[in-house]
Amino acid sequence: MITMKDVSKRFEGTGAAAVDNLTLEIPNGITVALVGPSGCGKTTTMRMINRLIDPTSGTITVNGQDVRTVDAVQFRRHIGYVIQQVGLFPHMTVAQNIASVPRLLNWDNRRIEARNQELMQLVGLPADMLQRYPRQLSGGQRQRVGVARALAADPPVLLMDEPFGAIDPIARTRLQNEFKQILARVKKTVVMVTHDIDEAVRLGDRIAIMRNGRIQQYDTPETILSKPADAFIENFVGADRALKRLSLFTVADVMSREAPNPALPSIAEDVDLRDALSAMVAARADRMTVVDKDGTTTGTITQTAILAA
Amino acid sequence: MNLLTEAITWIADNPGQFNRALGQHLLMSISAIVIALSIGLPLAIIIIRSRLMATLAVNSVNALRTLPSLAILAIMMPILGIGLWPSIVALTILALPPILINAYIGLRDVDPDAVEAATGMGMSERQILRKIRIPLAAPAMFAGLRTASVQVLAGATLAPFIGGGGLGDFIAVGIAGMNQSRLLVGAVPIAILALGTEFLLGQTERVLFGERRAA
Repeated sequence: MITMKDVSKRFEGTGAAAVDNLTLEIPNGITVALVGPSGCGKTTTMRMINRLIDPTSGTITVNGQDVRTVDAVQFRRHIGYVIQQVGLFPHMTVAQNIASVPRLLNWDNRRIEARNQELMQLVGLPADMLQRYPRQLSGGQRQRVGVARALAADPPVLLMDEPFGAIDPIARTRLQNEFKQILARVKKTVVMVTHDIDEAVRLGDRIAIMRNGRIQQYDTPETILSKPADAFIENFVGADRALKRLSLFTVADVMSREAPNPALPSIAEDVDLRDALSAMVAARADRMTVVDKDGTTTGTITQTAILAA
Repeated sequence: MNLLTEAITWIADNPGQFNRALGQHLLMSISAIVIALSIGLPLAIIIIRSRLMATLAVNSVNALRTLPSLAILAIMMPILGIGLWPSIVALTILALPPILINAYIGLRDVDPDAVEAATGMGMSERQILRKIRIPLAAPAMFAGLRTASVQVLAGATLAPFIGGGGLGDFIAVGIAGMNQSRLLVGAVPIAILALGTEFLLGQTERVLFGERRAA
């Protein structure tokens, strides 16, 4: 668990506090997205957790330990860190990059070798890529290597600063979905900074919306989208927040087992409700046949059911 | 062509004198490079920690660079007298600017994201220097060595003016005695040395750092 209590940060020579009396509790094993416009203090907040920045006042603990009482350099070896530009070391192979923290922790070669193989599998890259140099990889592959490097020593906490910011929009959504699966498998406490509310909704178990160094609302994506706390958040999440909220559910969540009319168009169970609604509008249908991934008919979904979600 | 043949014949007839001059030339140049490296590289590592020190060091070295090689040699004479050592000192001063400035800029301009990632994963300042900054700055350092080597080999030609000897002796004698073929005995090997060094170090650079250049 990560706790921040009354944490403030003032940078020298600036008037307003970058982070202003912030209190936040992050339970183990969940992903929290810190989201907000640029300059809202989200990155500063994240960087205070692994002491890349020290707070002016307040207390931060990670798994019960006050971060100010530990040696910052040693401490960071047990917190994964992923940045937007990835920051792979260009003079090292993928294998050497991934092994950076294990080497700092003096793992033996055999253990490092085994871990490298395991990590490549986890992030979905072929093992023969271990011998390549970062410049030989695509942006998406580099970001996967960056994540593998951050997870190498199996840290309980992972910090990610705009991890998909440098990826083109088409590859981004796919990569986000893959990361969601990776994160679900490794069960880390993840703090992710992003300015993209869609990314926050897609990946966050909780979202903390920040503005002027304060947290405006800290809640599940579902609640943020259905009950934004104020006008700023309502505006920030966008006029399409109702549709965004629908993307949190799938057809399987709201379908009925009612036997369908065979004449209806069909839709897969795992499609999210936003896409399902869009498909219905496109087909000018108010109900559709639901099929599972083998193509077997499993029930019916209606527009009314979607709107009631 | 006749002059060149005469020059080659002279070398064949006086191998001892030629080899001694060549040896002096190389000794001066290599000593100067080694000393400049052992001052310049550690100094670069020290000054990246402080903007003030860096400005001071880079500016003073840049000021040195504007001095003509001959002037540096001339200044050495009243301070250190004549002979091999004053020449080595003068050539070290000549070699220092490219070595120091290349190393400093190489270390300073290392990809900030790599440094940020290294800091964030728990490397100490010293580890970042050793594992990230120095290896990443190595190509720039090597380029500095290459520039300095060529400058020093060419600059050593002037050493005879302060009694340093070397291949420049033949040029001095050739000019004084209006003996053009003797002049070539010095000039041609110096040109070959400078060009050959440039070529060899260029190839070495490619072998050492080629694999990391952007695709």
